[in-house]
Amino acid sequence: MSMVMQSGEALVDSAPRFPRKRKGISGRSIAILVFLSICAAFFMVPLYVIITTSFKTMEQIREGAIFSLPSPITIEPWINAWDNACSGIRCEGLKVGFWNSVAILLPSLALSMILSSVTGYALALWNVRWAGTFLFVLFICAFVPFQIIMIPLIILSSGLKVYGTIWGIAIIHAVLSMPFLTLVFRNYYKGIPQEIMSAAMMDSGSFWRIFGEIIVPMSGNIFIVVLILQVTSIWNDFLLGLTFGGLGTQPMSVVLANVVITTTGEAAYNENMAAALLTAIPPLVIYFVLGKFFVQGITAGAIKG
Amino acid sequence: MALRWSRMSPQFALTPAVVITLVAFVGSIVWTIYVSFTTSKAFATYGIDFADWARQYERLFKDKGWTIALKNMLVLGVGSFLAIVFGFILAAMIDREKRGEGFFRTVFLYPLAVSLIVTGVAWRWMFNPSFGLQGALHSIGLTWISFDWLSKPETAMYGIILASVWQGAGFYMALMLSGLKSINTEIWSAARLDGVSFWRLYAEIIIPMMKFTFLTCAILLSLGVVKAYDIVVAMTNGGPGQATWVPGYFTINAYWVKSNLAYASAAAVLMLVITGLIFLPLVLLTAWRERSRTA
Repeated sequence: MSMVMQSGEALVDSAPRFPRKRKGISGRSIAILVFLSICAAFFMVPLYVIITTSFKTMEQIREGAIFSLPSPITIEPWINAWDNACSGIRCEGLKVGFWNSVAILLPSLALSMILSSVTGYALALWNVRWAGTFLFVLFICAFVPFQIIMIPLIILSSGLKVYGTIWGIAIIHAVLSMPFLTLVFRNYYKGIPQEIMSAAMMDSGSFWRIFGEIIVPMSGNIFIVVLILQVTSIWNDFLLGLTFGGLGTQPMSVVLANVVITTTGEAAYNENMAAALLTAIPPLVIYFVLGKFFVQGITAGAIKG
Repeated sequence: MALRWSRMSPQFALTPAVVITLVAFVGSIVWTIYVSFTTSKAFATYGIDFADWARQYERLFKDKGWTIALKNMLVLGVGSFLAIVFGFILAAMIDREKRGEGFFRTVFLYPLAVSLIVTGVAWRWMFNPSFGLQGALHSIGLTWISFDWLSKPETAMYGIILASVWQGAGFYMALMLSGLKSINTEIWSAARLDGVSFWRLYAEIIIPMMKFTFLTCAILLSLGVVKAYDIVVAMTNGGPGQATWVPGYFTINAYWVKSNLAYASAAAVLMLVITGLIFLPLVLLTAWRERSRTA
């Protein structure tokens, strides 16, 4: 039973004018559970619909019963979505986008983790006179709309010859996530006791040695939280991939959008749904396996601001 | 010598972040603001006609597309507030009835792991006039229900709101739940002892206690509404006509489709101004919290 009810019962014992709480499930509990179940159904309906649709044949879809189970079950939409769905004039399916997304993800993860953790560490634990001002600027940068910096970044990345390349997109991700991630790391490192730092400095530990030998081993949890946050946000990104991706270097979400928008004749709804699921599977797997860290990640910035 | 090197190391380590901030953020923002006063078309030109420096902004306010975009932003903002209300109700219910907490949390939060593009694609399919939910409802005799919202200009924004609420309510639930959990459990039993009714407990005690959480949620939501782009592309691509244009969509359209750099910059500057207006309370809120924490 819940904490609330236990403490409630304890008080009831000392205040006999209240009727004793009945054992078993109360009417209010049932009402709440029913309400929550209806809400859960609302959240599950789209997932159910896209999964079933992705296994249906087009003949069955044309019957118009969106909630029916697929019969016969076909995996052809999945094969088509992966292998030969058309995005624009190219009909290579989502596989190109998938590998592009992977190729963008790995370098930008490494870059952003190193950049933000070192910056956060320097700002939290070392005496930098302008740290306060810089943090305030970062705080503002973390919230500016992308459109206000989009055009100069396009011009800059073209000048650096990375526009339209996988590396260009990866670097842009690392650069644009730096302010927010730095704040997350800085908040975490701020919690490290000053005594540890003083002891380490007395031991003539240098900036980098303290980071490598003391701080990094202590940051396992925050590294996982930030890693998951970054993996999902880079994987789910659309606008950066659209802006900085060239033909053949677009990430999976951009290819998905093109596949769904490109229709010659009747739209292949089953293929579209399979394509959407293929794109959603990696973050969903992370969510269901490492949900605790995922929730910490998405709420970390919000609560600490 | 070693000591001095060590003292310089933090500054050295901060160099990349400082350069990024100055170039990619501060410099880029200043550049965009400057260009919004020029007459740049496809390429940036840096001459300003001082007699007519606000021409892009004047044009913007005469542009029907921009007016629609601003109006839709407000509609989306008001509609998305349902996500906060919904999120709070869910959090309060989960918090009261601990049974199934893990299950319900998992179900309410999973849409957040799904991208807005996938969300849009899924809901676009459900809104399909012939094979979507409408078809299913009509086939069981409920022909008076119309669920083809996206194909009509008057209702298309509501479709986008529904999908956004579906995707985002779990996030606000998670924030509210951690807010509710930080409330001292003695309050619940004290309220019970005093015979405070269920509704009064929430209206007069719990919600006022959570004002920081509510304000944080409201600001985060507003910032998200100003940035809204992906969901619109995936669901309607701005259509039908210009019915679902939002500022983010307008700006990107002005740059990529109209190839008008100065015009796109002016729209982006106004997006920044709106963000600033929303952001100001957040800065004040943080200061206020710091003070109430130290006091």
